[in-house]
Amino acid sequence: MMPAIDPRYDARRTRVRVAMFITAGATVASTVLGGTRFSGWRWLPGTLGITLIIVFCAISMNSGRRPRGRHGMTGMTGMTGMTGMSGTSGLGGRDPALDSRLDGQAAHRRHGLVMVSRMMPGPAGRRWLAETESVLWEITAARRPAAVRSYLLSGPRVAALMWVHACLRRVRPGPRHPR
Amino acid sequence: MGLRLTLQVQLVLQALLHDPAREMYGLELTEETGLQPGTAYPILLRLEREGWASSRWEDVDPRAEKRPARRYYRLTAGGAVQASAALAGARRPRDSALRRLAEGDGVA
Repeated sequence: MMPAIDPRYDARRTRVRVAMFITAGATVASTVLGGTRFSGWRWLPGTLGITLIIVFCAISMNSGRRPRGRHGMTGMTGMTGMTGMSGTSGLGGRDPALDSRLDGQAAHRRHGLVMVSRMMPGPAGRRWLAETESVLWEITAARRPAAVRSYLLSGPRVAALMWVHACLRRVRPGPRHPR
Repeated sequence: MGLRLTLQVQLVLQALLHDPAREMYGLELTEETGLQPGTAYPILLRLEREGWASSRWEDVDPRAEKRPARRYYRLTAGGAVQASAALAGARRPRDSALRRLAEGDGVA
C-alpha cells in the first residue's frame, strides 16, 4: 500500500522546482546579457528572478488556505454552526439569522462585536465571538442591548488578557489550552 | 498570576459552587449572578486559565436545535476546593452589597 503523500511536501517540492527553474533562467539570461552591449544590465534577470520566486512562493503558500480572520469559522460552535442554516454568512460579516433577532442599535453594535473579536488572537477571538453570539441568541430582547454593550465594553480588556496569555504561551511553550 | 477575588468573581464562584457537578452556560450564569455577560466572560476566562474551571462546547447540532451551541463551564475538582477556601477566606461582602452589585452590575 502506498503511503499517504503529504500535500504540503508536494507543494514544497513544486516550489523548489519552480525556484530552481527561475534561477537557472535568470543565470542564463544574465550570462547572455554579458556578451551583448547590454552587459550593464546583467543585474536585471537576477532581480526579476528573485522577485518572481518571492511572488510565486507567497501565492503558492497561501493558496488553498482558508481566508484569515473570522471567515474560517464554520465549526459547530456559536452562530457558526447556524450559518449553513441561514445561508450566506460567515462571522467575518453579517449573519442574517442573528441580525433578524437584533434590531436597531443592537444590530449595529453586533458589528462592533465582530470588530472587537478581530482585536483578539485568532482562535480566542473566534471562541469569544461564538460565545457572545450564543448568549445573545438566547437572551431576552429586553436584555440584549445591555448585554451587547457589556460585551463591547469588556472586549478590549478580554483582548488584552488573551494577547498576554498568547504571548506568555509563546515564551513558555507548554500544553495548549483546550479550545 | 493570582486570581483577585473581586465581588463579581465571588458571585461567579458562588454560582458555580452552588452545585459543583453542574455545568452552567454563560446565560445561565448571568441570570444566577445578575452580572452582565460581558462582565462574566473575562471572569470565566480567568478561572479557566487558573485551572479552577473547565469548559466545553455543547455537543449539539445547531441546525436541529435551531440555536447555537452553548459553552458550558464547571469547576474542576481542585478548583472547587480552592474556590471554597478562597471564598471562606475572602472578606465577606455584605449581602446588601452583593445585591446592589447584581442589580446595578458593573464591568469587572
